[in-house]
Amino acid sequence: MAEGAITNQIRTLRFMAGEMSQAELGQKIGVTRQTIAAIEAGKYSPTLEAAFRIAEVFNKPLNEVFQWVKP
Amino acid sequence: MPYREKSNLLALAAMLVAYVPYFAIVALTPIDAEPMPNLRLLGLFAAVSILRMVVLGAGYLWFRVRTPEDVREKADERDRAIDRRSIAVAYYVLIIGMILVGAIMPFTFAGWTIVNAALFAIVLAEIIRCIVAAVSYRRGWNG
Repeated sequence: MAEGAITNQIRTLRFMAGEMSQAELGQKIGVTRQTIAAIEAGKYSPTLEAAFRIAEVFNKPLNEVFQWVKP
Repeated sequence: MPYREKSNLLALAAMLVAYVPYFAIVALTPIDAEPMPNLRLLGLFAAVSILRMVVLGAGYLWFRVRTPEDVREKADERDRAIDRRSIAVAYYVLIIGMILVGAIMPFTFAGWTIVNAALFAIVLAEIIRCIVAAVSYRRGWNG
């Protein structure tokens, strides 16, 4: 299996979207605030569906929100 | 702390409060000599099960009073993923316990020793489930 990690720009995108709170983003995509916090911190990789929903909220393509980083 | 994580820790605490004393007493008391409908042991097991229910009930009531909005929150995909992972780990503990109890212990043990070993396997599997869930919530899980 290829080694690597998923990183994301959600914190930055929330800031650029008028300081959208984690709770607001969570409500928009149907997860809890704690799950958004875990995704931002890299402690949880969301399902593909949730990832697409997050990208849709910020009106960005998926690869601008999530990146696959090789070690 | 999310409600699911708190309720998981509550379930762990209730299991430990109830069943650690039970199995400590069982381990220190010779019971195989007693007749099969062992009312003393049955009574003890009923008492610790009721104690577990009381701890759980008091905990959930406390959550409902302190954070009623959290209680209404539905499990999301992360909660369900952590559930699946913890149940999968606990399944292996349970299946190993049941193999020991059902296929190996009958050759050398009998009666209440087997009954208590079966109960211990179930309790251990549930404790492992709670611990895996607690660690997954705290340290994260990418799976």
